[in-house]
Amino acid sequence: MKESFFRSMTWLHTWVGLLVCWLLFLIFFAGTISFFKDEITIWAKPETHHVQHQAQRVQSQAEQINYVFAQLQQQAPNSLSWRINLPEPRNPVLSYGYAEPKQPGQRRAPFNYTHLDPNTLEQLPEPRETKGGNFFYRLHFDLHYIDVFTARIIVCLASLFMLIALITGIVIHKRIFKDMFSFRTNKGSRSWLDAHNVSSVLALPFHIMITYTGIITLIFMLFPYPAETVYENGLRQMFEEALPINKRAKPSEEQRPMVAIKDVLDQIYTKSPNADISYVFVRNANTATSQIVVYLATGKEVVDNGPRYLFDGVTGELEASSGEDWSASAQFYDSMTALHSGRLAEPLLRWLYFFCGVAGCAMIATGCIMWAKRLRERLKAEQKPSFGLKLVETLNLATLMGLPIATAAFFIANRLLPLGLAGRADKEILVFFLAWLAMLVVAVSGREKHHWRYCAWLNAAACLLVPVVNALTTDGNWITYLLTHQWALFGIDSAFICAGLLFLLQSKKIPSYKTVENNTKSNKNRLLKEQQG
Amino acid sequence: MHSQSLDAVTTNRPKNTAKKRSVSLSYRVAVFMRFVAAIIGGYAFTSVLISLLAVLLPLNKLDSVLLTTTLSVFFYCCVFIWVFAVKSLKIVWITILLTSGGQLLALSLIKGWL
Repeated sequence: MKESFFRSMTWLHTWVGLLVCWLLFLIFFAGTISFFKDEITIWAKPETHHVQHQAQRVQSQAEQINYVFAQLQQQAPNSLSWRINLPEPRNPVLSYGYAEPKQPGQRRAPFNYTHLDPNTLEQLPEPRETKGGNFFYRLHFDLHYIDVFTARIIVCLASLFMLIALITGIVIHKRIFKDMFSFRTNKGSRSWLDAHNVSSVLALPFHIMITYTGIITLIFMLFPYPAETVYENGLRQMFEEALPINKRAKPSEEQRPMVAIKDVLDQIYTKSPNADISYVFVRNANTATSQIVVYLATGKEVVDNGPRYLFDGVTGELEASSGEDWSASAQFYDSMTALHSGRLAEPLLRWLYFFCGVAGCAMIATGCIMWAKRLRERLKAEQKPSFGLKLVETLNLATLMGLPIATAAFFIANRLLPLGLAGRADKEILVFFLAWLAMLVVAVSGREKHHWRYCAWLNAAACLLVPVVNALTTDGNWITYLLTHQWALFGIDSAFICAGLLFLLQSKKIPSYKTVENNTKSNKNRLLKEQQG
Repeated sequence: MHSQSLDAVTTNRPKNTAKKRSVSLSYRVAVFMRFVAAIIGGYAFTSVLISLLAVLLPLNKLDSVLLTTTLSVFFYCCVFIWVFAVKSLKIVWITILLTSGGQLLALSLIKGWL
């Protein structure tokens, strides 16, 4: 197609990047936020904020499980599914729930949850209905409002384009190290190129890792063929072989009392005396086919699936286990998903993940701004911008400035929407998309410098409003969080304050409408850092 | 580096003259066909390749499936880039169809599908 390999790679880099850059920005943005999804979920449920972390968390697990089992036996002895979520280092709340009978027309049985203070085992007030951090987590691979399967195929394809853009980006980047240390400010699109290079190169291993492993998490949907060829019953059979504990026993009508949970726990503690239990599931409670599944925490290993045990619920016999002795291939696959989800990350590493993600957002943002900037500079005085250029500029403004404000709006809606509202969780998400839509309307009306300035100002206001609204509607605020060492809550409020200040700076740096256009473009680089909002 | 690509793009943008517009149209069709070849051809090639590898590798079933599936993205990427690096689209399709066909034949012989 092009004369030389080099030129065709340059061409490919530009086009695969441009085609999907806004979708990729959404994926990177929501994915970066999802590294703190547990913390966001805690923030979104102020009813649980006063719960203290336990001093002896692991040691009190057996007692907690015993207590919850007694509760579940009273509340839902015949439920098809019980679930116990034990307190974790990142979430101090103990919760349990059971599936209610499925109504006709429902895809999944509704789950009835109860939240407990693990220190006193007292019931907490019912938290508000919210998706919390899970919304952003789902958004980054399920998108929203469209069919999950279609969404994942789209996300897979976009990620593939991203990977190709990364590889071709390295190929065309001959002076990779020299350029890393040269940042020419106030040089128009040249500065944008430098910003693009710096944000790409600094976190390059992260970008490649996160994109590749991201596709791997969805890979069996994209390439089911090896499994379909090797196994007679395809994927189903493969998953059953890989994770035998997931094999559900058929529900039975015959009532049989369950084994004492203490016997099951004793077997686990005999195997690993310091076992840190994450979840306990019970299937088909109190019937002949009841099963008890216990998930242990992964600890610091690079695996996504920790040890898991499946016990017969009637006899208490160990039927299957997984995660104890992986083969090399299984470990290879599992470590990839583990690297992507970053569940292993302790606070410091988690922040590194987060900032690399922000660099990824910056890389994508500078890429698409640079494209528009280049064509703009090339336009002659009398020439009208083409439809394509206008489209790119509109989408740039709407996406780059729209997502942060939508995120802030989601957090504000979490505090301000009435608690008893029907379908409250979905209304919060609606607010997110309405705020985004509002930015799109602004972007359609115009994409001049003063529009960017106006949007930056709106973003700053929205971000700074989040801690204020939080302080007015809950018992705690930014300062009390610091004094009581509630780092998750303090971190989220701080992130919004930082993002708000950066947007404020951005709106100050972009010249007002009447100023002659010069020497200012590089200042928008600061926009990059603000995607963390 | 980027400027070269953009030169190519801007010069191929529709202009007022009829001649340039036809150039632009054929150029756009060519671009579209490349993407079709890369996405669909690359997908077909990768699918057959990893399925064959999964059968051939001297590992147990689960391991060979996990390993080949994990490497699939790597193969897909290589083919994708190669499609854009080769000059003639004809050669691209011939190569993809021949290699995929050959592998599919080998796979069917091994599995006894024929």
